[in-house]
Amino acid sequence: MSDEKAAGGFDWRSLLRQSFGPSFWIFVAAAAVMGVICYLVLGEKAFSSATARDSELLLDLLPRVVAAQIVAGLVWALFPRERISALLARNSGHRGLMLAALGGIITPGGPASAFPLLAILAGAGADRGILVSYITSWALLGVQRMIVWDIPLMGVDFSVLRFAVSLPLPILAGYIARRISIGVDPADA
Amino acid sequence: MDSLGAILIYLTAAWLTVVALSRGTGTFRRGIARAVEQALTLVPRMIFALIAAGFMVKLIPTELIGRYLGAEAGFTGILIGSLAGLLVPSGPVIAFAIAAAFANQGAAVPALVSFVSAWSIFAAHRVVIFEIPLLGARFTAVRLLSAFPLPVVAGSLSLLALRLAEAIPR
Repeated sequence: MSDEKAAGGFDWRSLLRQSFGPSFWIFVAAAAVMGVICYLVLGEKAFSSATARDSELLLDLLPRVVAAQIVAGLVWALFPRERISALLARNSGHRGLMLAALGGIITPGGPASAFPLLAILAGAGADRGILVSYITSWALLGVQRMIVWDIPLMGVDFSVLRFAVSLPLPILAGYIARRISIGVDPADA
Repeated sequence: MDSLGAILIYLTAAWLTVVALSRGTGTFRRGIARAVEQALTLVPRMIFALIAAGFMVKLIPTELIGRYLGAEAGFTGILIGSLAGLLVPSGPVIAFAIAAAFANQGAAVPALVSFVSAWSIFAAHRVVIFEIPLLGARFTAVRLLSAFPLPVVAGSLSLLALRLAEAIPR
């Protein structure tokens, strides 16, 4: 959605309007409601210990999260989209599934980047195993998600373990997809 | 938490800055523009999501989280983690705020791996906003069926890996 907009200069006003738009206030309201409930149910002591813990966590996280955003933005700008989709559409079989999983790992950006790329792949004639393997890999293993979310919030040990155990799974999903007998379009029904 | 993660991220940021600058043609500017835009949207939300999740988890009795998601829960914790991840219909801000809060209250790693994996694969908002419109309901059905077992597999493999690591004498 916002992928193309970033190419030009800033429109600070609309950016700020988006940052502090309705959904931001929903988060604020949720925090306030939860805080009030916490105070009423558990008392002042539990409330202040929860606030102390929250602020500690936030101070610890924020610099890392900001740096992670810089990494994500640069990866996004450096990523060769056309080359990846052309490479995947040309390959099939086991090799195709593995390349698709690899492509998913390195694809930066949120769903607004990944799903349009998936649609392009589908249009270019990649089989459903490749499509499933690619998008599952992006969802489970996307390096950008690891950098922006897993590592700052859950720690390196957790992230490495999750990455390692999930590594074969997109390929597995691709094999399963090739065996499921639901026609996606008339050509492969 | 751990400073290794911070160092890793700062080093990567520095390295990518050098790469992007050497590429020229506005790559660095585009990347930073994107980063500012994303950070401005995410960071304010994340702060309040973390606060909300922190309070929410405080309201759930610790022994409940320990019993259903803690180390004693074993495979049951993996199933419950997978199910809980399935039920988070929102972006990473809320999903990871909940995961971090669970971790703070003693949830075990395999259950958390299942939770994050299930959310990653099924995130309902993504399916509705992007997948069905762009790829169709039939493809979505194929994908969901194919990926359905993966969160439980990921959690089980983590449990296995952690048990193996424990079994190795030091």
